[in-house]
Amino acid sequence: MDDSTKRILQRLMRRIPSQMLQTMLGKWAHLSREDLHSLDFTQPKWVLTEHLLALCEENGLRVKHITELEMIYIIENPNQGMWHGFQLLDAEEDAPSIELTQFKKQFKANLTELISNVSIKIKKHTDEAIWIRVAWGDNFTKPNHLKPTYVVHHLQTPYVFVTGLTSKYKPLLNQALVLATRYGSMKDAHLSGRNLTAIRDLLMRQYQQVFPTKNPKPLQEKNPVPRNPNIEKEHAENTENRLQIACEAFGDGTLPQLQKAVYKLETKFRDNSNKTLTGREEPFRGVVEFASTNLLESLRHCVSSGMASTPVTPLLSSITQKGRNYFVITDKGV
Amino acid sequence: MEEARKGVLGHLKMLEMEANNLELKQQELRRRGRQEELNANLQALLSKRDQLKAEIKANTSLQKMRTLLDRTGVPYERNEDVDNLEDGSDNSQLLLMMARHTQLKDLLHAHHLIGGYDVLQTRKGKGVCVSLATAYEGVYLETYNLEIDLGSNLRICRHNIPPFIPLERLVTQGNMQTDIRDFLDTLSQYLNAYAGRKQQLHLTKEIHSSVQVAESNALCTILVLMFTIPGEKAEAALCTLQYANHTQRLPTRVNIESEDTALVSSPQWKKNQALLLETPLHTALVTMKKTGSIA
Repeated sequence: MDDSTKRILQRLMRRIPSQMLQTMLGKWAHLSREDLHSLDFTQPKWVLTEHLLALCEENGLRVKHITELEMIYIIENPNQGMWHGFQLLDAEEDAPSIELTQFKKQFKANLTELISNVSIKIKKHTDEAIWIRVAWGDNFTKPNHLKPTYVVHHLQTPYVFVTGLTSKYKPLLNQALVLATRYGSMKDAHLSGRNLTAIRDLLMRQYQQVFPTKNPKPLQEKNPVPRNPNIEKEHAENTENRLQIACEAFGDGTLPQLQKAVYKLETKFRDNSNKTLTGREEPFRGVVEFASTNLLESLRHCVSSGMASTPVTPLLSSITQKGRNYFVITDKGV
Repeated sequence: MEEARKGVLGHLKMLEMEANNLELKQQELRRRGRQEELNANLQALLSKRDQLKAEIKANTSLQKMRTLLDRTGVPYERNEDVDNLEDGSDNSQLLLMMARHTQLKDLLHAHHLIGGYDVLQTRKGKGVCVSLATAYEGVYLETYNLEIDLGSNLRICRHNIPPFIPLERLVTQGNMQTDIRDFLDTLSQYLNAYAGRKQQLHLTKEIHSSVQVAESNALCTILVLMFTIPGEKAEAALCTLQYANHTQRLPTRVNIESEDTALVSSPQWKKNQALLLETPLHTALVTMKKTGSIA
């Protein structure tokens, strides 16, 4: 096992937290049971790493096995790093009938044609998601396994989620994906976040949405603040209305965890009391950023508690309706 | 002494007379107040009665119009019943619209009861929400919703239809702007077929634990199953089901492969292949287990 492989394994061991180490190595299945038992998981990590290195040398494991371990770890814990959503456009006739083996073959063929030294690993997860790991190299260097790109795609949907992609390789990945999925082009969906499950749920609408129904049962507030029952009775109808509107705009139950919403303003300055800035021809550039640990939950609470007025402004409800969290607002609209 | 007593008694008498007068005045006042109250009540009840009478009249004419519509389906311009209504032609047009409205609402409700889609007005008439229910084998499954904006062009503003159903394609192909019923019927077909296939897979996984699912996809159009053939050698057979028609719940192609090629080309397995093409998956597997083809 050469030095670079050792370094990759060491880096990976540093990344995986100690409590998950045993399960990960178990799932990896490249170490025999005796070897696995011989590892003492109560030792400090650097000792364990040395031991593991020795075992890997014994078993003759190579880079591709180690990257498998990394992939298993990332698939189990996808909510780290920055994920970006992309949307595929202009489906061709046979796009809905693409199947897994076809996609795999096409993607591998396309990407290796575009750039010769790449290492591609494709794996299908149980929830019908295809995970692709790409390590990029170029004509003279071997693939760089320390900075891989991960791509998640659900077949027959027009959405792709990517992390760890540099702008140098972006057009190559785009082209390979577009050709393999039989679409016309791919554009940025303007949705990004640290939590892959959140942006996936938001784009593919897998959270609990609320629609107007004929017999609306009153939605229950999950954690009601203790209130005066008399005041509550007076405000009952209004509270129900507000809760219904809030849930229609953002969803019911547990919401996808978004961290940020960014609004980039390119509109003219309009306040007449400020003489220096009004009347200029160029737009006043500004950026409004909402940040929170769970943005959609806080927005929903603002509306249902009456802090934000109803009807919900389309600027906020577009986050869920259009599945984006980066907006550019010009004078003509969003 | 007598005068003093007369003075006091006289004073007392005077006070008593004043008290009596006061009481009479108060009673008078109270009676008058009560009378006014009763009068006001009377007026209110009279106006309410007039209002109710007008409503009854309107409702009966609406009922008459509605029975005419139901019976013939064509609005009558000249009819003794219609002429009997004292209102002018504007009102009868209005009544016709109202009758049509109630007819449509009843029709939609009936449609909803038999498991079809239902349409609700939202945002004070500026939008509609269509809810499409899916069901398979008599069990209601998911309900999908579409919110449509009623402008000069119909536009879908919100929906919870899963992304692998080709909604945009159906919108353009089904001509949502001109023929919304066609579009909704096709969409309902796709959704019901998808729900049916998903339910078949779910039941297969639940009931037939000996059958392994090697591959499936989110739209449930490709399914690869692994059977174990009973016998001393306990061989495996790989069955691929392809549902090329996304509006159908039955597969369009069934492929069975196994190491024991003689077995799979036997007439029993040819029958099984035909069975899988014609009956839903979970019931076909029950039959195959009974005939002993699979374990």
